[in-house]
Amino acid sequence: MTSSSPSRGKWSGWLLVSPLVLVLVPFFVLPIVIVLVASFLESDGFGGLIRTFTLANYGGLLSSKLTLALYLETVKFAALTWFFSLIIGFFVAYFLAFHVRNQLLAIGLFLLCTVPFWTSNIIRMISWIPLLGKEGLINTALIKTGLIGQPLEFLLFSGFAVVVAYVHQLTIFMIVPIFNSMARIDRRLLEAAVDAGTSRFDVLRLVVVPLTKSGIALGSIFVISIVMGDFFVVKVMSGGGTASVVGAFYEDIGVLQYPAAAASAVLLTLVLSALVLLILRSVDIRREIAQ
Amino acid sequence: MTVLATPVALARARAAARREGRPWTFYALAGLFIFYVVALYGPMICIYVLSFQDVRGGLVFPMKGMSLHWFVDLFTQVRTGDVKGSFDRSIKLAVLVTAITVVVSFMAGLAFRRRFPGDTAVFYLMIGSLVAPGLVLGIGTGLLFNALGIETSWYTSALGAQLSWILPFGVLVMFAVMSRFNRVWEEAAWDLGASRWQTIWLVIVPIIAPGLIAVGLFGFTLSYDEFARTLQTAGSLNTLPLEIWSMTLNVTSPSLYALGTVTTIISFAIIGASLATIALIQRRRAEGGRPGGHA
Amino acid sequence: MSLGPGHIELAGVSKSYDGQTTAVDAINLKITDGAYCCLLGPSGCGKTTILRMIAGHEEPTTGEILIGGEDVVGLPPVARRTAMMFQSYALFPHLSVRDNIAFPLRVRGRSKMDRHAAADAMIEKVRLGELADRLPAQLSGGQQQRVALARAAITEPRVLLLDEPLSALDEQLRVQMRQELRRMQRELGITFVHVTHTQLEAIALADLVVVMDKGVIRQAGAARDIYAAPRDRYVAEFLGGQNVFSGKVQRVNGVSVTLAAPELRAIAVPLGSARPDAGDTIDVAVRRDDIVLLRPGVPLADGLSSLSARVLGVEYQGNFVKVMLDALGPSEFVAYVPERDFFRDPHQIGDVVVAAWQADRARLLA
Repeated sequence: MTSSSPSRGKWSGWLLVSPLVLVLVPFFVLPIVIVLVASFLESDGFGGLIRTFTLANYGGLLSSKLTLALYLETVKFAALTWFFSLIIGFFVAYFLAFHVRNQLLAIGLFLLCTVPFWTSNIIRMISWIPLLGKEGLINTALIKTGLIGQPLEFLLFSGFAVVVAYVHQLTIFMIVPIFNSMARIDRRLLEAAVDAGTSRFDVLRLVVVPLTKSGIALGSIFVISIVMGDFFVVKVMSGGGTASVVGAFYEDIGVLQYPAAAASAVLLTLVLSALVLLILRSVDIRREIAQ
Repeated sequence: MTVLATPVALARARAAARREGRPWTFYALAGLFIFYVVALYGPMICIYVLSFQDVRGGLVFPMKGMSLHWFVDLFTQVRTGDVKGSFDRSIKLAVLVTAITVVVSFMAGLAFRRRFPGDTAVFYLMIGSLVAPGLVLGIGTGLLFNALGIETSWYTSALGAQLSWILPFGVLVMFAVMSRFNRVWEEAAWDLGASRWQTIWLVIVPIIAPGLIAVGLFGFTLSYDEFARTLQTAGSLNTLPLEIWSMTLNVTSPSLYALGTVTTIISFAIIGASLATIALIQRRRAEGGRPGGHA
Repeated sequence: MSLGPGHIELAGVSKSYDGQTTAVDAINLKITDGAYCCLLGPSGCGKTTILRMIAGHEEPTTGEILIGGEDVVGLPPVARRTAMMFQSYALFPHLSVRDNIAFPLRVRGRSKMDRHAAADAMIEKVRLGELADRLPAQLSGGQQQRVALARAAITEPRVLLLDEPLSALDEQLRVQMRQELRRMQRELGITFVHVTHTQLEAIALADLVVVMDKGVIRQAGAARDIYAAPRDRYVAEFLGGQNVFSGKVQRVNGVSVTLAAPELRAIAVPLGSARPDAGDTIDVAVRRDDIVLLRPGVPLADGLSSLSARVLGVEYQGNFVKVMLDALGPSEFVAYVPERDFFRDPHQIGDVVVAAWQADRARLLA
């Protein structure tokens, strides 16, 4: 005989969530703490740490012009990727949610969008090489049609290629949460608004966007945090010509400059947390998802 | 009044008639959608095609011959690294991550349906773990293991590092799954005499089974493809993405494309199986009428 | 003392969720074994909270709940031997009709053959024979309700608790399922407690109607008593069918009081158990079907009270005609005139009429 109603038990919540916490503490909290501690120590130059407190790592980081340039570069990629993935993701989701009338077809097309997500990101990235390269499909086609005489150099190993690869990889992170929000909007609401003479643009602005705020926020968090925490796409697709915050961090680790790298990591984490908190303040994601 | 009303009424009637057809936005957005899908699949299809060239093949079109040369090359050549071993490890790791993600996310999903002391702290801990730069966490984890004197390996440190990212994802998906689970089923089960365990096994799990499979699928792919967190925590033996990464730096032959084709086939086999399972469950629910009505 | 197994008694039961506002306030209520009881009130009046406390889904903050003479507070539903039928039925979507009905037996560890035999017997009882292998999503609302009823009844509870069982059905089905509920209750011979916000449902079904408002019981009694003799203005207005007006007591003369109000002349109302004093403001109710409409100038018989008024509206209702009058200014005053009587001398909107009733039919409200 059971004696506990499903609505009782103050500690059951903690019991159920304890495995999650048991993973997050050693693999998120402790590593961050270690990085934080390392950022205040001195390096012995051979990968070891000297136990003296110093702010020199932050001093070096904040006084370096390179830091600002790296952040500007990374923020630029994050902003561009966010913008394009949001625009494409929002309208693709809108098309699927409101324009495809057959529900089964909508789900089928939705799955079509998600399928590439299940394949390797690295493979998807390098798959742009035969297209964008100097002798790639696009250049070949443009030359053959006579539109250009010389192959376009900016297509591959450039900032352009970086943004293309990011948008290619991450738009799905916008589509899924936004589609999820839109699927909950009562279509009759939109029809009623249109019948009342509201223009399509106003319906979009006044009804659809506010109701998909949580999806947009969630998608933005995914995209921004992935781009800002990534170095791999920038390294490969820019052809080494462009650096990123995490890329520089990786280089520091490579030459065993742990404290300097740690200071840079702490700064990045702070910037990222501030951005995410800003987004989270505008919408209560937990309530929105679980409602 | 009537003079004004007539054009409005006309416009209304016209709008109503037009609803039978499609508004212009439909065509514009359909165009965008097609563009997106082509851009999504086009490049990938290119490399699948290019991986089937013969020995003269290069990294770009045009296609030179047709053979399985580069697939053989992939598994036999030394310079392409330990593809087989890393592949093996990646699958094992992904299965491990999937199992843990499904169980832990499910439990957390149950917990987060109501408030408990400290729930907001746990939630933000999760969001933090989700957005923290992967490479930074990977290095932190590596340093932690170093400080504790434990060897890093794919089944300890890399497993943990991957979970710190994949679990929050799983829990977020679980929130969405749970929001579609009506609490009244749970109450009814309790009212009818089911224990807590019976409620979970006989009511909650079967009802949200498709959602649990989706969470598992998420966990599997995220792990199978994880790079940044694994890079510094996998120890001496590589997982597949690490192997691919080193290949992109050394190998400039269609072997690379052949690897892409192989991993994609594996991914598709796994999604196919998962989706088929979900579809089977849904169909059984929709059509019902199980003969004999076994329990 | 030999209380039946399904005898329910609430003693001083209160429920507060936040320690400040009370959802249910010091309720005392007895429901005899085998009775059909309806808890009636608007949403938020505490009726569902009472039901859930009897069911064991919520515990009272203070007070005792006795079923069959034993205190059940703190016990789970199984130990109380109660069963609940949920508002939306809460059928398990992944189980067939048979498996849904057999579920309570399954969790009690009964063998498959055993529980399927019991479930099939129950399925026959609620006339769902050919649907045993269907899933809930493939059933109509009425069929779903029968499955829910069968599932709740299969463990032979001593009390069945129904939370707005008819609200998900359309009007016609509602009347039909109402009869079905009553039939099942008679067949099972157990106590039914039924929560509803629909007056018609309550008075059509219940042996005991409990009218609630803001966490307290306003009146509990047989349907006819509640309808014909409401205790106060709230009950009279909620049950409907009454004209309620207030006035100041002018004289009290032992058997009746005379009261006056701005809209009416002195009216005599028989004294019930109430003992008002001159100068008190009191409420009076007169049934709408006790009102007779007369043309002005027609001499009044003895013992009639009357008001003059103008007709505001006329609604044809089939077996009677609803005539709205302006006798009380902004508040409603309505006469239900039998159809044949009305059309013998139809009134038009704007007509001046005299609304009269037998003085002893008026009732003082508490």
